[in-house]
Formats: sequence, C-alpha cells, structure tokens
Amino acid sequence: MAPSENDIAIVGFAQLPPERRTNLTESDLVLRSTREVIAQVGIDKSEIGFTVSGSCDYLSGQGFSFVQNTDAYGMVPAINESHVEMDGAWAMYEAYVRLLQGDIDIAMAVGVGKNSNSDPSTLFTVEFDPYYLTPLGTDTWTLAALQARALIDSGKATERDFAEVVARNRSNAKSNPFAQVKGDFSIDELLAADYVRNPLRRHDLPPTTDQAAAVILARGKRAYDLCERPAWITGIDHRIEAHLPTVRKDITTSVSTRLAAEAAGVGKGPIDVAELHAPFSFQELILRDSLGLDASTEVNPSGGALAAHSVMTVGLIRVGEAANQIIKNGKNRTLAHTTSGPCLQQNLVCVLEGDQ
Amino acid sequence: MADTVQEFVFNLTFPFSRTLGSTLSTFSSAIAQGQIIGVRTGGRVIAPPLEYDPDTAADSGTDWVCVGPKGTVSTWTWVPEPTNLHPLDHAFGFAFITLDGADTPMIHIVDAGSESAMSAGMRVEAKFKAPADCDGRIDDIIAFIPASDPSPSEGAGEPFDAPAENEITEMDAFSDLRYVDNASPTTIMWAKALMEGRIIGQKCPQCARTIVGPRGMCSVCAIELDESHVVEVPGRGVISNFTIVTPTPYPGQTETEPFARCSILLDDADAVIAQQEILDVPVSEIRVGIHVEVVWAPENERSAVDIDNRSRGSGGDIIVGWRTTGEPDEPADRYLDRMM
Repeated sequence: MAPSENDIAIVGFAQLPPERRTNLTESDLVLRSTREVIAQVGIDKSEIGFTVSGSCDYLSGQGFSFVQNTDAYGMVPAINESHVEMDGAWAMYEAYVRLLQGDIDIAMAVGVGKNSNSDPSTLFTVEFDPYYLTPLGTDTWTLAALQARALIDSGKATERDFAEVVARNRSNAKSNPFAQVKGDFSIDELLAADYVRNPLRRHDLPPTTDQAAAVILARGKRAYDLCERPAWITGIDHRIEAHLPTVRKDITTSVSTRLAAEAAGVGKGPIDVAELHAPFSFQELILRDSLGLDASTEVNPSGGALAAHSVMTVGLIRVGEAANQIIKNGKNRTLAHTTSGPCLQQNLVCVLEGDQ
Repeated sequence: MADTVQEFVFNLTFPFSRTLGSTLSTFSSAIAQGQIIGVRTGGRVIAPPLEYDPDTAADSGTDWVCVGPKGTVSTWTWVPEPTNLHPLDHAFGFAFITLDGADTPMIHIVDAGSESAMSAGMRVEAKFKAPADCDGRIDDIIAFIPASDPSPSEGAGEPFDAPAENEITEMDAFSDLRYVDNASPTTIMWAKALMEGRIIGQKCPQCARTIVGPRGMCSVCAIELDESHVVEVPGRGVISNFTIVTPTPYPGQTETEPFARCSILLDDADAVIAQQEILDVPVSEIRVGIHVEVVWAPENERSAVDIDNRSRGSGGDIIVGWRTTGEPDEPADRYLDRMM
C-alpha cells in the first residue's frame, strides 16, 4: 500500500530478557531497551520527535522514578517527552496520536516495570476503591478469582479450561527467548496444585517480572526508511468500564473489549495472530470471546502474559510481538490487546497490518 | 573491603483523612448505627451507594434504601493464607453479596469456617463490630457469616430516612507499603568508594563530561557507563545553587527550623551533587559561589545503610556535610544556566 501521511506504523521493537529479580534500576532498563531499538532501526536519537514512557512509581517504590528514568533518553538539547502512569501500550497510543499531528515523523514509546521490589498480593490493594474495597484488603488475586468463579458458574468454562490455557501458553513460550515461565506441563499435573484463591492456582496467576521494552513508530513514507515491512496501525481503541466490578452487568464477558474491538475494526478481516494481555489464565477465554476471535487466529505464540508479566511493560510487549509477526514473520493482519484495572476494567485493542 | 548494603527495605506510609461527600457520609453514618443502605438510581438499588449512576453518570440522588443485613452470595473465592492487609487472621472467603433489598452486589468477607461451606446462592448475614467500635467504615461489618435463618431480612427495601446532617464526614485511611529494593551495580560502586573516603564519578567517553555521583549512564549522550569509566574527583567544590526549606510538620519530618540544601559542583566534575548540607554557614548567609570541602565521618562511624538506588549523589552517613574553605567566592554568574 502507498501510505498516506496519516498512516502510522510500528517499525522497531526491542525487549530486554525478563527477570524475576534484576539488580538494575528502572533507568538502567530504559537505557538498555531504548538503545537497542534505536540501533535496530538505525537512526540517531536526535531524529526522534517524541518520546513517551509508561511506568508506575508504586511498583519500585520510588517517588518520581519516571523523572529519573528520563536520564536514559539523553535530553540535551531538550526533547519532547511525556509519561503515562499506565502500561507502555498506552504510551504507544499517545505516541500514535502525537504522530497524527503531522509535524514529526518518528516517535518512541517505552514501558518499564521493576515489579520485584513490591509484593503483588498486597500492593495493588491501594489502587482500588478506598472506601469500599481497600479497607477489606481486597487484592487483585481475589478480584480475579471472583470473576473466574462467576465464569465457571455461568457454564462458560471449567478449571480444566483454565489449565489448558496455562499449558498452551507455557508450551508456546518454549520458542520465545524472552519468556520467563515455559515448559511442558500436563493438565492433570496443573490441576493437582493447591488453590491460591479458589478457583485459581498459582499457575493461573501472572509471574512477577522485571523488564523493559520499547517500540519506534514512524509516519507515512518515512516508515520504509526504517523498516522493510512496517506494521501499520490500522485500528486502535481504548474503552473503560466501571472501576467497581460489582456494578458491571456481567463480569463473565468484557464489554469494553468488545467495543474497543469494534472501533478498531477487528472484524473487518481475518486476524492471523493475536497477542492478548490476560494476566490471569481464564481472562484469555473472556478476551477471545469478546474480541470475536475464532479458531483461525493463533493466540499468544509468545506465551503471552503468563510467560512474563512485568506490569507496565507486558502490554507494550504484546504490541511489539504482534508487530514482529508482520515485520519478521510475514503475517498480514495481527492484533495486540492490553488490559488495566481490576477484572479487565480497561482494554486497549490495536490492529496491525502489513503491505500485501 | 568496605561493607555495602545489597538490599534495602523501606516502607512508604501515607496517613490520609478522606472527606466523604454527601453520599458516602450518609452511608458511613448509617453503617455506624448498624444500618446498611443503598441508593435507588436508574430503576435499581445500588448498595453500597455510589455518588453517580455508573451507567449514565447522573447524580444518584438521595433515594436511600435500607438493605440487608442478610444477603445472597453470587460469586466467591477463598483466601487460605491471609495477608497483613486482610481483616481476619484465619482462612476466609471473599464474595459478591447481593443484600436483601439491593440489586447490585457488594464485595465483602465471608467468615464461613471452611472453603467447602462456600457456594453461589448461600445466604449470609452481616456480623457487626460492637456499637462502640463502629466508626462508619465498610469494615464495621467484621464479616458476613452463614445466615442462621435464610428468610428475608426484615425491613430490607424500606426507605432510609437520612438525618439532616450526617455525623460522620471523614474517614482515616492509612496506607503502609513495604518495598525491598536491591542495590544496583552503580549504587554499590558509589557506596564502596564513599566508605573508603573517595568521591567518584563516571567520565563519558563521548562528551567527556564527568558525572558525580555515577549514574551508570551518560544522561546527555544516553550511553551506558561502567567501572571502566570511573574517575575520582576531589572533595572540593563550589555551591552552584541552593534552596532554603521551611519545614512543615508531617510524619517522619525531624527538622523544625529553616535549613539550606545546596547543589555543589565539585572541581573536575560536570554535574552537581544536590541536597547537600553546609555545616558552618548560617542559613541567611548561604549563597552561590562559596568554596566548600567535604567533611567525612570518622572511618569507624561510617555506614552505607542509607545509600540506596534512590539517593544518587547522597553521602548518607558517610559524608557529614561540607565546610567552607575560606577562599574568595567565585562569581555567582559563572553558575547561571546550569542544567545539572
């Protein structure tokens, strides 16, 4: 296709190896991931018109860590920079919107999360409703388990289905050099494990991961200077539901994912590969259904979020993996999904296409 | 070899007093009296009440409804090992509980004894703290317990007559987060040098700037720097900037009088170290251009426990502060427009 000046593509993607515990700082991780993606597309950092990161001070426990992280950009002379307290996928979305203004051609989006400093079983309690949820110590695992139990009781899925999601993702992860959790596991072996939050077992929960990733986006014809086969963003949308899962009509489905998918034009053609951010195994089943994916779509060849889950980075990696399917693997149309908030509260859907 | 800390445990604590607004203060004042309420909005009763209808964003209004104290579980989970944030110290359930008289569930704790007692459809009832201990919070309900009598709650669905003025309008919320960070290679390098009485920086091979304390990178060129780029700089420099801090009381604040924190540009360095204390100049006389030199703690009193990844350029307990050298001041305008 001959791109118009409003067409934006992912032209480069770099991720660091996921680690359970790194001894580097977030700034160190940002530096290494951005250096790598800049080298990959073969530009000088001065050619980047806009840089945006996604991270969260609460994860590493360092106030204004996102400011210190900007050391890694080399901001002399001053650069055009922004930050979202969201996954790097939303940083990518901001970079996309920024490029649409038409005055710059190249942008970089980064996601970074040093998750190992804090305890995921308690940390996220502070992000919930402070009047009705936080005083009870309501945690992420509990809210996910309440959703999982509702899914089982609705007859849509079983614990065995959850285990199958885990086994398939861990098996897929074997061929992903950037997977932290991988291997062959039998369903029965998985089902023999104890519950952490009934009906969820440890393997239904995301791993704890320290990681960073970065993408470079380019506008119009400039994309071809940086990438032989750019991954054009042909649809992107982000929808949000009520924060309290109790006031949503039905938590066994994801209305926001369905609406985002419709707005992003997912159904306009076949999806070859989908990279879904399902932090909890069963959420992949809800997402597949709400996205309208059928058996012709390969889901999470990377192993998805169950293979590595650096909060603030994992969503951007879904975007990068889906883009690489076009840039490197010759796929034509792929999908990246990212979620945020309790019980799939917020969902971002991005459709990527290659030239045919 | 000097001892340095490899891991740092720190707690971030935030004591908040949250104002409740009209809807939540009505809920709080009612629950403190042992009455759970909801609000009728958009044709259904939402309990506990929200200020806005989640579907339409319309003001939920004041059509209060008595709900509970019994209700029905719709979905549940089980916590075999409670965390320090959970209100019970033994295994318990969480559930969506639709209270009698309500149309939406609330999330609360079910103290059911065992996992096998939990099921969708189970009838539960609220167990409150003693009236004197209730202060208008959701956890005035200690837990829901299996209902001894499954029949409908008396008075549920009746209108709730809210007082003209609510007794409870604020809620204390104390957050205490625990972190365990580990020292980065750069932090360890910095702490070790300080313990040996040396101040080090890293010299960028590209732009030739010397950055003190080391950052593991050149923040101008955006390239990695490592041990091979380390240079020692003298413990002497010039105040390049300062601020006078008037302390306001907050938890953890030990200062009571105004104090100065200075940026110092060390000789042979290109980046300042910030937040430094000058030991022998009154706050009113602090100025840009003063020559200072480092004052080390005696070797047997040095400790690196405060040198963590967050304290880049800080001397912790190893550098006591800085004192004047008596040399004539440098012209202040030499330090204008410094970026770092």
